[in-house]
Amino acid sequence: MDGKYEAIFCIVNAGYSELVMDAAKEVGARGGTVIHARGTANKEAEQYFKITIQPEKDIVMILVPLSIKDAVLHAIYKSAGLKTEGQGIAFSLHVDDVVGLSPLSLSNAENPEQNK
Amino acid sequence: MSEIKAARLRRKKVEAATETSAPELVAGRNTVKSNRLKLLITVVGRSKAEYYADLIQSLDVNMQVTAFGHGTADAKMLVLLGLDNSEKAVIFSIIQENKVPEAVSMLEEKFKTIKDGKGVAFTVPLSSVIGTLIFSFLSNTRITVKEDK
Repeated sequence: MDGKYEAIFCIVNAGYSELVMDAAKEVGARGGTVIHARGTANKEAEQYFKITIQPEKDIVMILVPLSIKDAVLHAIYKSAGLKTEGQGIAFSLHVDDVVGLSPLSLSNAENPEQNK
Repeated sequence: MSEIKAARLRRKKVEAATETSAPELVAGRNTVKSNRLKLLITVVGRSKAEYYADLIQSLDVNMQVTAFGHGTADAKMLVLLGLDNSEKAVIFSIIQENKVPEAVSMLEEKFKTIKDGKGVAFTVPLSSVIGTLIFSFLSNTRITVKEDK
């Protein structure tokens, strides 16, 4: 399974995690986990750029096959990116070992064409 | 013109700073080539969080953080996978690379066999750790820890 998966982390304002998941699911992601968190920001930078950072955050963690990683990141950026109300930041990490995924998701990872 | 002068002055200052600090940085940097550390992320039902945390701890894991979250799979998918609640615990554990195969096979077996114990686990390699004591703690290397006299 090595090298076939990536973990996408998306940090959004609290309450926007569903938006992220909807966007991810539209391009083939199956499910994710949402963790509540508190964000911190540089007060001076906030004043300079005239933006306010809402401290209440949701971290959405989605494990996706490498083949759809770019599509998922792009979909998240479009629907919950920094310029939207969700003010989301998304990044992906290379994942080495994966266990516990359903056989359905595994077969999709091996044959991404079936997913379309 | 004054802007250019100021910029030159700033550059000189930066160069001077890097000249003095760079060797220290290089001298203080160690590269671990064998048995590196990994971050093991395990997502399980909340009721089984403590059980899995204990299980992972048995593999020389000294630091774990558990955060509560919830799953986002839709109701149809939950039924398909035989899951009934979406309240989850996410366990972040720092584990040695050579313990990963054991951890992964152990978790895989438990995910399949334990009632309500289904979950997902994956590892992410760490690229840096600051501090030798912290590294020794995380990798459970007891040789480098000095004894108090």
